[in-house]
Amino acid sequence: MNHYANLAELEARALSLAYGRTPVIDTLDMTLPPGRVTAIVGPNGCGKSTLLAGLARLHVPGAGSVLLNGDDIQRLPARTLARQLALLPQQASAPEGLTVMDLIRFGRQPHQGWLSQWSADDRQAVHDALAAADLEDLAERPLDALSGGQRQRAWIAMTIAQQTPLLLLDEPTSALDLGHQIEVFELVRRLAGGGRTVVMVLHDLSSACRYADHLLALQGGRIVAAGPPNQVVTTDLVRHLYGIDCTLIIDPDTGAPLLGNIRRAHPSSA
Amino acid sequence: MHDRTLDIPQLSDEVRVPAPPGSWRLAWRWPVAEPRWASVLVERRSVIANLLLTVVLLLSSLMYLAVGSVVLGPLELLAVLRGEGDMVAAFMVHELRLPRLTAAWLTGAAFAVAGCLMQTLARNRLATPGIIGIDNGATAFAVASVVGISVSLAPPAMALMGAATAAAITFGLAVGGGTRGYRFIVAGIGVGAVFGAITQLLLARVGIDTANAAYPWTIGTLNARPANAMVVLAVGLAIGLLLAMWLSRSLSLMRFSDAVAQGLGIVIQRRRWQVLTVSVLLTGLAVAVAGPVGMVGLIGPEIARSLSSRRGVPIIGSALAGALVMVLSDLVGRVLLAPIELPVGIVTAVVGGPWLLWILLRPASRNLV
Repeated sequence: MNHYANLAELEARALSLAYGRTPVIDTLDMTLPPGRVTAIVGPNGCGKSTLLAGLARLHVPGAGSVLLNGDDIQRLPARTLARQLALLPQQASAPEGLTVMDLIRFGRQPHQGWLSQWSADDRQAVHDALAAADLEDLAERPLDALSGGQRQRAWIAMTIAQQTPLLLLDEPTSALDLGHQIEVFELVRRLAGGGRTVVMVLHDLSSACRYADHLLALQGGRIVAAGPPNQVVTTDLVRHLYGIDCTLIIDPDTGAPLLGNIRRAHPSSA
Repeated sequence: MHDRTLDIPQLSDEVRVPAPPGSWRLAWRWPVAEPRWASVLVERRSVIANLLLTVVLLLSSLMYLAVGSVVLGPLELLAVLRGEGDMVAAFMVHELRLPRLTAAWLTGAAFAVAGCLMQTLARNRLATPGIIGIDNGATAFAVASVVGISVSLAPPAMALMGAATAAAITFGLAVGGGTRGYRFIVAGIGVGAVFGAITQLLLARVGIDTANAAYPWTIGTLNARPANAMVVLAVGLAIGLLLAMWLSRSLSLMRFSDAVAQGLGIVIQRRRWQVLTVSVLLTGLAVAVAGPVGMVGLIGPEIARSLSSRRGVPIIGSALAGALVMVLSDLVGRVLLAPIELPVGIVTAVVGGPWLLWILLRPASRNLV
């Protein structure tokens, strides 16, 4: 696994993002803890994915800025940014007929040029990514012939081959069954163990509590709670975010908060 | 896989880095003060496809030169090509068939590369310049210059302006839908229909002789080739091919969703403009020579894609396949109902129509390139 001598620091400063005239993210400040897994959670439409798009420079801020090691990402050349920050969008689509290896090789493009199309570094990075995502035996398999979990691991492997200190994942497990979700989450944990800073948008609060070191809870375009899951997740927060009542239990094996006895919140209890 | 992962070379062994599956790798060191390694990958399957297309194109071209109102035997043709043989045959090959063959190569390659670029840009195989109205725009402007609507610009310049105008209107109408999806295609079909109607209107209002002079531009034929337009096309095609190949690494990422391409360091907005510009340039210049020959921009890239490696966008393959389609179609048009000549545009439409239907009706149709 790779080691990153200087961890990249990504922060938002008074960041506002809007679609046309509809504001989505409202003067938001945050810093990602380096080398940790951060999960962005919140109800539908709270701006989770928009925030991620803003952090990855897919969305130009209406006001404020996103800083990478102190530099405004809007001013960085696209390839420079792509060597620092990798993004896996939701429901990424690939052209027909690619193999796992083909897909992962595209992750090297920010490091390549017309006259440096395949260096020893490229080869090493692709093989490391195959190994990290446990896909060595499937390298020659067409993407269409993989299971959902394997395909998602192949996509993550592409971002691993990019060898960036920062990794942004938008709902990496949204279309996967439980077993495949765990495959992906365990891969994410291994990547953070290797020194990467990972941010993922998740709609499942329990998975976020279990696999993230740091939680950012979003509501109406603002951060309503930020910190380690077992410190910030309370019954009040859950009611505020999702309008549900629950009993919080601490998982005896992992120490992560678990949501039990979930039910719709009564107006009187709100 | 496992045995190969075990022998990972040292950095100093750049020359011995094994190529990824399906590729050849060429590596060399620049002889400069601080030596740097350069490496280029060649897709094996694409090389074979391009060689195959070249061989078939050359054979078809020989046949094209030999067959016609007077048929030459292989030995006769070779003699003529070497500058020997009888005068009549030499005149026919050098003065009649060879220039027309050159026109077929140039226009076929230009239409097919333009189609390949536009399909990749729109991520939709239906989005060729012919279908989204750019051909018709170029035609309307070229016809306007011929029937003399108080404009005295040469047809290539007018065709280019027409192509650019149609593209601008199509993209303007598709705003919001972007260059993706059917909104863009439907807008293009509408724009094409309007320009087609304008062409007809222009022709209806002029005398029969003028209309006859402009007729070649409306149907797509290699019969009447303005010599200056041929030169302009040859230069434009050379530049366009170089630009397309320069764009090819970005093009292969533009087949992914925008967010993926951007995440891998592509400045998508700028690249789209560049790809669109090259496509419109090639279309305009080709229309100025042969008129709106339909379907070559659809069939050429389709053949190239099915033969080439899936990792890249086949620019060279499309050029070769487009030239091949054009040569064969014009050959069929000249021979099928001889001595009557079918315009090449009719032959490509007859072949391309069913092809288009197949693309639309194919059960597992995914419109991604």
